[in-house]
Amino acid sequence: MTEILRCENVLVSFGGVVACNNITLGITEGKIIGLIGPNGAGKTTLFNVLTRFQDADTGSLYFRGADIGRLKPHDMASMGMTRTFQNINLFAEQSTLDNILIGAHHLIGNPFANMFGLPRARKNERKLIERARQIAEMLRLEDQLNNEVKNLPYGVQKRVEMARALASNPEIILLDEPVAGCNEEETADLKEIIQHVNRELGITVFLVEHDMSMVMSICDYIYVINFGANLAEGTPAEIQSNSDVIKAYLGEEDET
Amino acid sequence: MFGQLFISGVATGALYALTAVAVVVVFRNTRTINLAQGDFAMVGAFAALVFIKDFGLNYYVALFGAVLTCVLLGIAFERIVMRPIADSDWLTLFTATLGMYYVLHGVAGWFWGRDTKAFPVTFDPTPIEVIGGLVSQGHVINMAWAGGIGLMLFWFFRYTKQGIAMRAVTDDPDTAMLMGIPVRFIVLLTWGMAGFLAAFAGVLLAPIVYVAPEMMDEVLIKGYVAAVFGGLYSIPGAILGALMIGITENMAGGYLGSHFKTATAFVMIVVLLAFRPQGLFGIQKRREF
Amino acid sequence: MFGPVNKSSLNRGTLANITTLRQNWGLMIALFTAALAFPFLPGVEGWMASQAALIVVYIIAAQGVSILTGYTGLVTVGHGGFLAIGAYTSALLTKYFAVDLIIGIISGAIMAGVFGFLLGLVFLRLSGAFMAIGTLGFAFFVGTIVNNIPIFEGREGISLPTNRVLGMEIGDTGFLVISVIALGLTTLLIYRLVHSGVGRAFMALRDAERAAESSGVNRVKYRTLSFTISAAVTGVAGGLNAHIVNYVSAEVFADIWYSVDFLVATVVGGSAMLMGPFIGGFFIVMVPFFLEELADFSFILKGVVLIGVLILAPAGIAGVIARPFQALRAKRICPKSTGQPK
Ligand SMILES: Nc1ncnc2c1ncn2[C@@H]1O[C@H](COP(=O)(O)OP(=O)(O)OP(=O)(O)O)[C@@H](O)[C@H]1O
Ligand SMILES: [Mg+2]
Repeated sequence: MTEILRCENVLVSFGGVVACNNITLGITEGKIIGLIGPNGAGKTTLFNVLTRFQDADTGSLYFRGADIGRLKPHDMASMGMTRTFQNINLFAEQSTLDNILIGAHHLIGNPFANMFGLPRARKNERKLIERARQIAEMLRLEDQLNNEVKNLPYGVQKRVEMARALASNPEIILLDEPVAGCNEEETADLKEIIQHVNRELGITVFLVEHDMSMVMSICDYIYVINFGANLAEGTPAEIQSNSDVIKAYLGEEDET
Repeated sequence: MFGQLFISGVATGALYALTAVAVVVVFRNTRTINLAQGDFAMVGAFAALVFIKDFGLNYYVALFGAVLTCVLLGIAFERIVMRPIADSDWLTLFTATLGMYYVLHGVAGWFWGRDTKAFPVTFDPTPIEVIGGLVSQGHVINMAWAGGIGLMLFWFFRYTKQGIAMRAVTDDPDTAMLMGIPVRFIVLLTWGMAGFLAAFAGVLLAPIVYVAPEMMDEVLIKGYVAAVFGGLYSIPGAILGALMIGITENMAGGYLGSHFKTATAFVMIVVLLAFRPQGLFGIQKRREF
Repeated sequence: MFGPVNKSSLNRGTLANITTLRQNWGLMIALFTAALAFPFLPGVEGWMASQAALIVVYIIAAQGVSILTGYTGLVTVGHGGFLAIGAYTSALLTKYFAVDLIIGIISGAIMAGVFGFLLGLVFLRLSGAFMAIGTLGFAFFVGTIVNNIPIFEGREGISLPTNRVLGMEIGDTGFLVISVIALGLTTLLIYRLVHSGVGRAFMALRDAERAAESSGVNRVKYRTLSFTISAAVTGVAGGLNAHIVNYVSAEVFADIWYSVDFLVATVVGGSAMLMGPFIGGFFIVMVPFFLEELADFSFILKGVVLIGVLILAPAGIAGVIARPFQALRAKRICPKSTGQPK
């Protein structure tokens, strides 16, 4: 039961808004962990801190025990961590295949060797394309490989984003609202994919999601944050019966 | 010397400001850097020239005619060229206005010839003294006009329904749309305003330089630099940028030699952007995730 | 549904990249053969070869712009500056050190590349309108330098010795051959670039910067690399341009409209298409050439074509021409695909 990712006392404030207020949590390897909380609770901000798009004012971050607080976003992929974005963030003008290949960017080796098509780089490139095809196959994208992603339906785009994340050979993948905006069928699809990725490929999943039935059914463990602070943590069953959590969510409903 | 250079720098800056403000107004509502802004002004100057010389109209009537011409030109440009590509990327919008620049240059050259023409209305050449420096009366009158237009814009954005709607579109077009603001009309109005400002820039500059297709090229570039200097979203920033550029380049021209006058603005902008990529008063746009 | 990955599926069809590679060869080889044969056709005079060489210069310069603007998404209005750097580097070397034309051009490219690298670092955080004005400022800056520093001889200009390649003097025809070879090499470079992981990284930064970073693309490194390569390619054009008429002067190289013309050429042709700079470069040189007596019409034509292309064919003229070919190829690579491949 090793901890693959951990953050301690992460504090982020934007001007007067405290988006993360001393958040501490740990992600156990091989599990599906959920992060929930009302809108504006600071979930995306925490993801940004973990993937280094956002610097924390204070606090520390560890990946397999090593301090990653000073790394850059592009260091994450080769380290074994990758993410998806809350709003679909694909390379819209490019084909599905290219999108997946960019996910594998840190595996291209020496960029100049790759550019000038030296024999070893060429072989490597072929291997990357093969892998991209395998991943596409796994996510049932094999018929879309040459289509520009901007022309694909929403649910398919979500799968492309997942495929791109998988292409980097991650050990852990952070999903920011993977099923937001999806219909029931697409949701069921993505849920199955996430479970497959976790069980068959052994990839740890850390996900933010507002769809409670989905979170409760696939997560092994859940963290709840509210107003940027830790509110509760536990198994789905524990969270469902936690009075603080219920209050936080009901409180939110009162407002809206 | 200093006072002299300073005050005529302000006068030049005031003319840059008319273009800079128009660049900002159009940019923040449509994401478009309008490279045809200078040529709108050039058309305005030519229109005024025609009204005065060929129709024998009074200066102020001609000015009004130039304003009308430019406003219509701005609106027509929006309807015919910019609206069909409104959702395109930044480069497309930018180069479309460049296309308009070419068209207007060509049309003006074709109609009125490439040679420079003197503007019939000139100012009394005896300079007058303003806070310790001698300034030509033309400069003083131009400063007064520019100041007046500045106040008018202030009033427009602060107190009129359209002005407030325009700011709402700037802040967040989607929300503005949801709130029932006619965004398309506001965009049209934005281009009309660009024409309005251009007409003044052209007619005010005409007596100082000359009237010719390329009369506004330098002012356009300075206006664009000034707008970026101020951060591209801020009207006061653009005005301040324009004045700073006007003053600094006048100083550089006076103390270092006229060779360095034009380069000044670019040295300033390159140095500024290297250290403050969002301009002086720019907003670092909130990152989208 | 999600069983273990099925290996047999991998053998289906050729790999996409490699197929694309073969497809473009035919057209390219035909084009270059025609260009090389051109000066030897009956009735072709020296000045025509020079005119053709000028087209080649514009194509190469536009190729440089397309790397940065088309593939990396950073709009430049300053590549005239890199053209000037390439031109003056080569000019000064041939004048004072009597170097070979080839050495001159390569040095020009390297010098432009170095400045491109530096500019890329200075403008690391710029994009859009800010990048456009910054690069324009750079071009102006270069113009001021060549106008005012004595060694560049300002508007007087520098006259250069006759072109020599490998010790032999070459005329207009020989120069065109050298230009076409240079164009062949830059085209090959861009081709390799676009179809490699590096080109993918450029395009990823263009389309979605944060997603690119989270996929492991080092933004600083690839942006600067794009700047460097882009500047060096335009530097090649500069070196060639200096030697077409063996004369460089601030009159020409301090003119910022060069920068604008390169951008227009890139956009009209198709900024992210291999063939784009070819079409755009040809267009920009030939419009004023045919309408020499009618300068105003050439302006109007330029403007109307530019606007027309943007409204009707946002991917540029090359995009329109390529469409049917791409559809065909898509069917071959991936029979079930319906859309168009990249
Ligand atoms: N770059 C930023 N600048 C200023 N404020 C920000 C920024 N990013 C986030 N915030 C603020 O921080 C708070 C937390 O935002 P965050 O996006 O992390 O919430 P979230 O939990 O992901 O919400 P949602 O469920 O709606 O996605 C919000 O109040 C938000 O307005
Ligand atoms: Mg969020």
